[in-house]
This record gives sequence, C-alpha cells and structure tokens, in this order.
Amino acid sequence: MNRHAPTAVRPVVTGVGVLSAAGEGTTALAEAVVHGKAAFGPVTRFDVSARRTTRAALLPEPRPLADAVLAAVGQACRSAGLDPADPDGGPPVLLALHSDRHTRATLAEVSAGTTARWGGPGVLRGYTGACVAAGTAVADAAQLVASGRRTRVLVAAGHLVEPGVFAAFDAGRALARDGELRPFSTGRSGTLLGDAAVAVLVEAEPEAERRGAPVLARLAGWGRAGDAHHVCRPEPAGDGVARAIGAALDRAGIAPEEVDYVNANGTGSTLSDHAEALALRRVFGEHTDRLPVSSSKAVHGHALEASALLELVVTIGALTDGLLPVNAGWLGPDPEIGLDLVLDGPRTARPRYALTLNSAFGGANTALLVAAR
Amino acid sequence: MTALRILAEAAWPDPEARGPEQLPPLPGFSASSFNPLVAETAERCLRARHGDAPAPGRTALLLASASGDLATARAIEEAAADTARRMPPLLFFQSNPNAVLGHIAARWGLTGPVVAICPDRPPPPGRVPQDALDLAELLLADGDADQVLVIAAEQAEQTDEDADGTDRAVALLVTTA
Repeated sequence: MNRHAPTAVRPVVTGVGVLSAAGEGTTALAEAVVHGKAAFGPVTRFDVSARRTTRAALLPEPRPLADAVLAAVGQACRSAGLDPADPDGGPPVLLALHSDRHTRATLAEVSAGTTARWGGPGVLRGYTGACVAAGTAVADAAQLVASGRRTRVLVAAGHLVEPGVFAAFDAGRALARDGELRPFSTGRSGTLLGDAAVAVLVEAEPEAERRGAPVLARLAGWGRAGDAHHVCRPEPAGDGVARAIGAALDRAGIAPEEVDYVNANGTGSTLSDHAEALALRRVFGEHTDRLPVSSSKAVHGHALEASALLELVVTIGALTDGLLPVNAGWLGPDPEIGLDLVLDGPRTARPRYALTLNSAFGGANTALLVAAR
Repeated sequence: MTALRILAEAAWPDPEARGPEQLPPLPGFSASSFNPLVAETAERCLRARHGDAPAPGRTALLLASASGDLATARAIEEAAADTARRMPPLLFFQSNPNAVLGHIAARWGLTGPVVAICPDRPPPPGRVPQDALDLAELLLADGDADQVLVIAAEQAEQTDEDADGTDRAVALLVTTA
C-alpha cells in the first residue's frame, strides 16, 4: 500500500555548494571520492594529545562555521542561476547544525548573511538531530516543494571538527583506533570526523524550467523511520533503515531493482555497518549481489549534522558524472556484510536511481532517493 | 492554519500540581536536567493517551528546543578544555538531542521519524512553538507517521539574569484533524 501522498510537483535539485576536506566545490569532492583519496590527517586545530584517536578530515583553509556555510550557500545559489534582484526573493533556508551553546548565534548569522546577499526570509528553522539532521531537512524541503507549499527551499548544513564533540566521541570509543575509516571492512574500528559546509537548492520542476535553471537531479523519494530500540545503538537487524528505504521507494513508485547505486551510511562502526548491510539485503534481496554500494565517509569523514547533505552532493555527482565513489580504507571482506562494494575507481556507471542513507543516535534513519534527470 | 487534532497533552511543571515537583532521574543520563525533562514530559503525555507502553501505530517524535541541552553542552566544553581531565563517556551519546528521543521511542515502541529542531526563538512559557506545529503537520502530510509526539523543552540558563531558573516543557500528541 502506498501511504505517501501523491506529489503535486516534482522536486528537483538545481544548485549545490560544498566545502569539504577535499577542498572547495563539487569538482574537488568528486575527484577525491571517485579515486578513493582519503582526506584524513592529524588534527592541529586543537590539542588532541590526550585522545586515543588524533586524526580527522579538515578543511584545507580553516574558517568560522557561519562563513563556511555562507560560502556553500553562495556556490549553490550561483550554480542554480538565482538572481539576487529577483522580486520573488531568495529561498527560505533550512539549516542543519550541531546543538550546542552557539547554535542560535550561527543560525542568526547564516540567516542574516543569506538575506543580505540573496534576499528572502533567511533561515526558517534549525535542524539539530545529529547525523540525520540534514537528511531530515532535505525530506522536509522535498515535501514543502512537492506539496506546493514552496517553490524553492535551500537546505544548508555545517559541521566543523571541534574539541568538545571530538573528545566526547573519543571517550565514547566511537573513533577509529587506527586512524582510518574502513566502512564494511574487516578490521574496522570506528569512524573519523570530518568538516563540511554544504548547501543544496531544492526547487519545483516547473519553476526550474521556467527559469531555465540547470537541473542536476530529481528528488524522486525520501523516507524516515525510527528503530524504537536504543538511545544510541542501531537496531541489529536494520529494521528502521529498511523501513526508511521502503518509504523512499514507495514514494517514488519504483521497484528495488531499479536502484543502481547506494551511498551507504557506512560509519566504520562494527554494529552500525552490520545492521545497515542486513537492511540492504532485506530490501533488495538478490539484487543486493549486483547493487554497487560505497560509503564516501571513508574519504571525507563523518560530518555529523552535515553528513547527509554532503553525501547527497556526492550521490548527485555519481549520477551526473557517471562515476561511483570508492569505499576506501578497505582491508578485506567481513563475511557478515555481503555487499557489492565499490573497491576501486574510477568505476563508470549510469545509475538511473541512487540512494543515500543516514542513521543517527536515537534510532533515527533517513533515505533519500535521487534520479538522473 | 494548522490542521491538527490534539490527542493528549502534558506539561512540566504540571500547572495543576499542588507543590514543587522533582524530575525523576533518567538512568544512563547525567550532568543535565534536559533529558529527564524531555523524558518525563513525553511520558506523561503518552500515558495520558495510551495508559501503558507500547503505543500503537506509527508515531513520530519531534523535539523543539531553542535552548538545547545547555548543561550537557557546558559539561562537554569544560571537560574538553582541560585535557588532563577525563571526558565522561556518557556525554558521548548525550552530546545530541536524539539520544533521549531514542529512549522514549524504545520504551513506547515509536517507529516514526525522529526529528530535533531549534526554533529561532523560545516560545512563551507553556506553549509549543508554531513552527513545531507546522512541522508536525508537514510530517503527517508526508505520510511516514500517523501521529506526532511534539515536545517543546527549554532549559533555564542558570547564568541568564532574565531567566526565572525553571526548566519548562510541553508535550502534545497530535494527528491529522
């Protein structure tokens, strides 16, 4: 049964902007992920001498969080061909950030900067739901556009590696002991954090056509589901992930066999990677054996609240460039995983539909399904 | 206009309580009143509707907080600033607002979306921000949930002279009107 309301309008992506450890812009990011060039290095931004893990993927040129997000917003708006003088005003912004004592100040700074440069109402809302914050914001943007409530919405996200979260993740033994992020691999020992500032413009397809805007991809489906299992551990069988994927496929009205690439959550955690692999097997059945999967976190790191938007940009790049991201950091197969991982590159492909997955503390899961134009 | 039907509601502190109330401790969480505040207010709201766990159907969790978990954020900052000090491991999962939502979801069997937002300003005491109600309506229209438990929680900033020092939360269980 299709529980999801038929969409009045198809949401498309017309602009993207990104700053990551690979550098500024989508070209630098695509170059790194399709060749599997991991961007991790020693953390020099603050003292990590007392930590078990001392590596992360940092921006080549450090800058304040709001500045980085505004730079990504500028890239996205320019690439979408938005005109600051447009009488309709700039797009409203949904902004994903870590929840801390600086969140509201950053929201206000990004809001003011966006309005000053591009017009419009600025930031409507902050999303603080950990590693699905940006995925949730994209789903909301898609629904706002698909239901006709908005003609365009800019989703932005930012995460910069900082001492508090780094120390907390280190204390929680979530960071890779060997300083490498090895999704789905034998010997994986945890994740590594990464900087990212990202922006994606979601727009109603008729509006994009009217403007003559470049359509990079279509947001064909999105789904969200909770594990109802634990404060931070994933449900071991991947039930919530599977339901989120099912909702995304349901909304798009496509069969699992039509998905040609999955950008997995793949944090490098033993439990989480295993649960995600089981979820993929449950949804895709025998198609799993022919379904290329990779986690680009192995290259750009785990950008927490910004991760889903960073990985959406990577996934759109796979569609537009026809090159799949490499699952870097690989040491060898884990017999309990059983996925067709993209282990070398560049690997050429022409995906019709590609899925990007994210999961978070609290058992939150998001699935975003993008289609080639 | 928000097209929502309220199935149950609860507040902390309870406006009808006869005296001062004490938040029950939440096992596994430390250093902050924020998570016990969210958990207890959600618990009261779900009990008002369902009696005992589990709750039927697909229910989403939506936490709206302009303050966020100030005490945990401060504890993390202070522990990280002194590299000779050990970071309490519990602060790892407590470093984001999803963790307590995971506790509520696991206890009540809530399988809908798990969402945490920061509205641009705190609502008046005892109220849910309009933005959170708008988002609850969008979540229901989107089709991944049949009900949404909206929790609006604000932790008092102890150093803020304007604050009255009281943590406050409101929970509404809503569905489509």
